[in-house]
Amino acid sequence: MSTRPNPPQKRTSLLPKPKLLTLDPTVLIAQHAHLSGNNPITIGARTVLHPHCRILSGNAAVVVGAGCVIFERARVGMGVGGMGDKQGTDTVLGKNVVVETNGVVEGGEVGDGTVVGVGGVVGRGCVVGRYCTIAASEILPPYTRIPDFTVVYGGGQQRVDRTLEMRPELVESKMGLHEKQLDMFQRLVPNQVAKWM
Amino acid sequence: MAQSFPYTYYACDCFDSNTTTSTKRASQVVAAAAATEDEEQTFDPQNPRSNYALYPLEHLLYCEDCQQIRCPRCVLEETLNWYCPSCLFEVPSSVVKSDGNRCTRNCFNCPICISPLVVNLLENADADQGTPDRHILICPYCHWSTLETGVEFEKHTGVYAQLARIANGGKHIPTSKERDKERERRKELEARQRDSKNPLSPSSETAAVETEAREPPSRDDLFSNLAAFYKSQLEAQTPANPFSPGEMNFSSPSAYSRIMNLYSTNTAKKQKRVKPTPMREAASELEGLVIYDPASDSAAIERIKRDGWNSTLSPTQKLAQTNPHLQFADELRPIPTLLCTKRSKRCRSCRHILSKPESKITSTRYKIKLLALNHIPRLSIRALPPTNPPIPSIPGGSTASQPQPFNYNTLRSGIPTHFLLHLSNPLFDPIRVTLATSSTTPGKVQSRVTILCPQFDVGANTDVWDDALSSSPAPMARRSTINAETGQIEAGKIWDKGRNWTSVAIEVVPGFLADLKNVSGEEDGLDEDDDLLEIPIFVRLEFEADVHAEERGLSDSRGSKAERESREQAFWTVVGAGRIAGR
Repeated sequence: MSTRPNPPQKRTSLLPKPKLLTLDPTVLIAQHAHLSGNNPITIGARTVLHPHCRILSGNAAVVVGAGCVIFERARVGMGVGGMGDKQGTDTVLGKNVVVETNGVVEGGEVGDGTVVGVGGVVGRGCVVGRYCTIAASEILPPYTRIPDFTVVYGGGQQRVDRTLEMRPELVESKMGLHEKQLDMFQRLVPNQVAKWM
Repeated sequence: MAQSFPYTYYACDCFDSNTTTSTKRASQVVAAAAATEDEEQTFDPQNPRSNYALYPLEHLLYCEDCQQIRCPRCVLEETLNWYCPSCLFEVPSSVVKSDGNRCTRNCFNCPICISPLVVNLLENADADQGTPDRHILICPYCHWSTLETGVEFEKHTGVYAQLARIANGGKHIPTSKERDKERERRKELEARQRDSKNPLSPSSETAAVETEAREPPSRDDLFSNLAAFYKSQLEAQTPANPFSPGEMNFSSPSAYSRIMNLYSTNTAKKQKRVKPTPMREAASELEGLVIYDPASDSAAIERIKRDGWNSTLSPTQKLAQTNPHLQFADELRPIPTLLCTKRSKRCRSCRHILSKPESKITSTRYKIKLLALNHIPRLSIRALPPTNPPIPSIPGGSTASQPQPFNYNTLRSGIPTHFLLHLSNPLFDPIRVTLATSSTTPGKVQSRVTILCPQFDVGANTDVWDDALSSSPAPMARRSTINAETGQIEAGKIWDKGRNWTSVAIEVVPGFLADLKNVSGEEDGLDEDDDLLEIPIFVRLEFEADVHAEERGLSDSRGSKAERESREQAFWTVVGAGRIAGR
């Protein structure tokens, strides 16, 4: 606690202070999405937060980039309970990151276009490169570094996705699909962002 | 044992009973067993051979003609049909013989992680300019794709046939006919060079240059060269077979059997003595000879230096490939899906079908399925909690609903523990059961075992409603077997009884692990699983059944009471009661 420059005050309400939350006007936050903690949360343009997902900034700040999709029951950032009194690491999601159902990203950086599969866990302080895939139920131990275009699969095995690496047009088409998915969510999911503004 | 306590295994005596006469009856087995009772050993579950004789009841079949249990060891399996597990298409056995046991349609597995590959359309930027669509196979799990090996397809169907024509990197794989032509052409070229070699020396140099430029032959090339060489050698040696219709494959099973038939007569002996002239070995690359080239090894080492271990393959990945001598990831080919089979099972001794699935691939039902489950009483064991003070009885599973569950993993040595043996009858006739066990369990740790009521009756597996509708429900006073004064379980009385089940008490005094160590004088006197409390129990059934009940089907065997015969069944079972706790 002493190393932290500005120790946060204990607050009784779980709701974040309004000024701690920076939302782009185009953000889609579904009903029952949960944002809490007393460190700043920043959410970029066109990001979609599904119902019952949690963005926790109890220990450190959370930055969610533009065009991210956080699915149901996924968790981004670290709450107060999980870490004890240790200092947390900031969580930074890049552009177009997808955290699928039950996925967990606690601290660290996740690069553009990376997908954290169903039930995947990116541990504290991990640095994940761009266009990586963490397959379903894969667990990255804390402070792992994953280079760009890596696929983590089959119980911790890693390989480089050379298909994407060699063909930039495939990356483009993949991101195009992602944009279409974002549009679809904008049309289908009722936006409750007014509650958080 | 992998199963959790308590468990019951049934012993199939198919190894011990060497006689395979189909007319052998259970009574004869029992008679034989009684005759040789002195020599007959108690079934020993610790015996290494027992591992291959003990099965859970669910794994066993039952032959109605032999009236015996049939385990996976004593059934014959016959392949009914072949099918691809991925596309569920049936593959005729003739195609399996000619094309091999792989799916020849669109089904492939990922060479990296073996999950099924899917066909994806590559984005076509200039489709309007008439560029045809390109397709690739991609793994949805690990994201491997055929693009990594430089393979693209024109159509999304018939991928197997397309893949057979494209080598990695997009090159064309020659067909066998093209290979033959090429070989002939090169042979002629070589012959011409040899002729012109003597007068003119510089031609050898050009030949050397040509071989330098050519790539090393692929595995398929070498195989076809070698096969062609052997074929020509065989043809040169044996005069043309007058029976052969033109081109006969020397390796086909029909040709082989025909040859065997020709030589099986008496005159064959003379011919056999004539030694065949030894064949010439392959001498050149065109004949399939491959010479080891140390340069390829150093090239591979250089490549590993450059690309690192990630470019190499794991042994599993290599072995899954058609060519298991691959070294690098860019040589991988998609693995065509292995076909599966549907099999019927026959009794080994009387050849009757015991299990036969429906031949339709998508159906999981069976035409014939003779399970031991439906013919052999199910014996189960569970712990009897301490009986005093007697607990209020709950109908059905009275002992199952205890507040603290019995710990089967810590049986205490020397303390009498009671278990319940529960026997339920799947037959439509009442049975008379005799249980037998030796007084101490075999093995190093000797536990004393007493079955308190070794002989009892079990009711027939009648309609569930018969019991409820009958006027005299015959309430069995539960726990009447417990002596009110002493609180002991009385011997000779059954514990509980229902419509088609009976349970009896069994008393076990687990043996001492520590004593054994002292006696043997060495620390490692106990092997793994010596502390298991496994009780071998011999079960003998007597019942009256309809003659030919199986022909009319078991369901209506209660209809006529005319012809009855008495039958007997006998088999060994092993019940695992728990594990004796160490000190």
